Amino acid sequence: MRKVFDDYRVLSDESLKPDEPRVEKFLQAMKKSLQKKDNWTFWLPYTLSLDTCMKCGTCAEVCPVYLASGKKDIYHPVYRSDMLRKVYKRYFTLPGRLFPALVGAEDLTEEKLNAMAENIYRCTICRRCAYVCPVAIDNGVIAREARKIFDAIDIAPDELKKNGTQKQIKFGNATGTPANAFLDMIEFLEEEIEDTKGYKVKIPVDKEGAEYLLMHNAGDYLAFAETVMGAAEVMDAAGVDWTLNSPATGVNDAVNYGVFYSDVEFTNVLKAHVETAKKMGIKTLVVGECGHAYEALKYLMLRLIPPAERPFEVKSILELEDEWIREGRIKVNPEKNPEPVTYHDSCKLGRLGGMYEEPRRILKACCQDFRELTPNREMSICCGGGSGFAIMEKGDFRKFRMETYGKLKAEQLKASGASIIALACSNCKGQFREIINYYRLPVRFAGISELIANALVR
Amino acid sequence: MALWELFTIAILPYLAIAVLVLGLGYKIIYWLKAPVNLHWELFPYPRTSGEQAGELLTEVFTLRSLYMHNRRIWLPSLVMHYGIYLVVFWLLFLVVGLPLAVYLGVTGGCLVAAGSLLLFLSRLINPELRRISEPVEYLNLAFLFLLAVAGLIGGVFRDFSFRTYIISLLTLKPHLSLPDNYLFFLLLFWLFMLYIPFTRMAHFAVKYFTYHKVKWGEME
Ligand code: SF4
Ligand code: SF4
Repeated sequence: MRKVFDDYRVLSDESLKPDEPRVEKFLQAMKKSLQKKDNWTFWLPYTLSLDTCMKCGTCAEVCPVYLASGKKDIYHPVYRSDMLRKVYKRYFTLPGRLFPALVGAEDLTEEKLNAMAENIYRCTICRRCAYVCPVAIDNGVIAREARKIFDAIDIAPDELKKNGTQKQIKFGNATGTPANAFLDMIEFLEEEIEDTKGYKVKIPVDKEGAEYLLMHNAGDYLAFAETVMGAAEVMDAAGVDWTLNSPATGVNDAVNYGVFYSDVEFTNVLKAHVETAKKMGIKTLVVGECGHAYEALKYLMLRLIPPAERPFEVKSILELEDEWIREGRIKVNPEKNPEPVTYHDSCKLGRLGGMYEEPRRILKACCQDFRELTPNREMSICCGGGSGFAIMEKGDFRKFRMETYGKLKAEQLKASGASIIALACSNCKGQFREIINYYRLPVRFAGISELIANALVR
Repeated sequence: MALWELFTIAILPYLAIAVLVLGLGYKIIYWLKAPVNLHWELFPYPRTSGEQAGELLTEVFTLRSLYMHNRRIWLPSLVMHYGIYLVVFWLLFLVVGLPLAVYLGVTGGCLVAAGSLLLFLSRLINPELRRISEPVEYLNLAFLFLLAVAGLIGGVFRDFSFRTYIISLLTLKPHLSLPDNYLFFLLLFWLFMLYIPFTRMAHFAVKYFTYHKVKWGEME
């Protein structure tokens, strides 16, 4: 593939069409994105961020990509935002039309368009920069809005669109697992628990009217089955009325890649989630260990779908587990997890979700030696799996993930001296699996539910 | 009296204030009319109006974000901002008639001049900052610097009788006889007021939205 920005390419030639004229279409789509009627969802933070950056560079001081790249210009958060901002000024503001050179307004060319399309996929929208910006300007929201504009002219990574949201709507999950295969998998997991733990756990599927519908990131069944089994053991030990669901009931995958690149796709998937939960008549939709799914269902949904149309509660599995441990509903013995354990705050659960205490209380209850990574919580460094990166591999992209975010995380992890990194997000797990391999770290990753299951006193 | 002098002393002030008020007002109403966005808060954030006011004041008076994460421009920035705060108080004190005003004016002018010069140089010298700076960034700082220096050299800041002019403006009977060396300062001063709404220097107003409506969300 031809080079259009740096040494990587996340957009295939079929999607980017780097040699075709697209500038006009882009400007049309951008014009629409600036209309509050057509694009109300993030209009305020988006337009404020385009307008009021003071060019102080504070964002760069905390951006994992910029720092880990050795401060390469092209990865500066403002450089990225300016790719869109210059176009905004040139075509959509008066000073930019009158005095382009003075305010840094620039014509958009096909080459600049190519570079921008790639560069907006060098930022995980972790919003660490927005947290420290003196004016609370959000380079993350600019990257996301740019992704939306590109998607509107049909430029989006295949992993997120063709094999992501669209596959999920069609098959009920982004892994494309049909109902019968799903049921076989569940049977296999039940046997696996019995073999390894020596007790039987019944995993209910498609039970209508259950108190809790637990929905995992469907990728977990294939890649992180320990988390799925751990959650089943915890649910079983708590003795609650719960169920998983198969694609026969609608959507059985908590992911919503629309969060990363498109409000249209986002809303489609969200509505499918809501329909499924309503059809099953459950009381609480429990989001498995998945950061962006939690953000979507817990927060982004609130102003998008009226309360009357979503007659169920949304909780993260971490909230329930924490509650049950504190109530004594499930009993745990930390001696069963003697190794040093640390925790990585997923951006979506932490900075964007406010869930800092629950995982820490759980881990302190279930592990003998809990350690913090530094920095953590609101200043946690994104692992590099966010905003879809964890499933994006082509164009040598894994190397980008490893040499930027991955490098910082590996250093943090080493400094902690922990031998287990506890993770509460599927995309973080995907990324850490690679980090541990790439940097040959003597560490393993584990889901929170897996560690609780390990510590269960039955 | 030349026409431009008359204009600077008696007409420009009203024009500038009108543009400043209408311009800022337009901006504020424009943002106020924004549709409520999807939840996009960053945790943790202050939840009560008391906590929010506390954070706001800390940021305004200490520029904490810069102190914590971008230390090398914190001091010049702080110096410049304090200078601006003092100049604003200079005007208020003049109107009220407190002789203390001249001390605020002179100190404020010095701080603005020093801060804007240092920031200008940092932008120019630091390659990271230089790369993200457009000409307008330098223009804004140079404007502030010139304004402060003109006020200091012309002697406006240390002249309590300048109050007569301000009061005459407020009572809509502009006092026309002013020392010549005040004119350049006045011209810059009113042009600056006129310029503010069109620039990012209106960020003091924008911050209300980025913080209260987005980063901190709606109050519960
Ligand atoms: S910290 Fe904020 S205001 Fe400063 S350069 Fe970055 S985005 Fe712009
Ligand atoms: S959102 Fe994260 S990755 Fe993107 S520019 Fe900001 S700090 Fe860097």
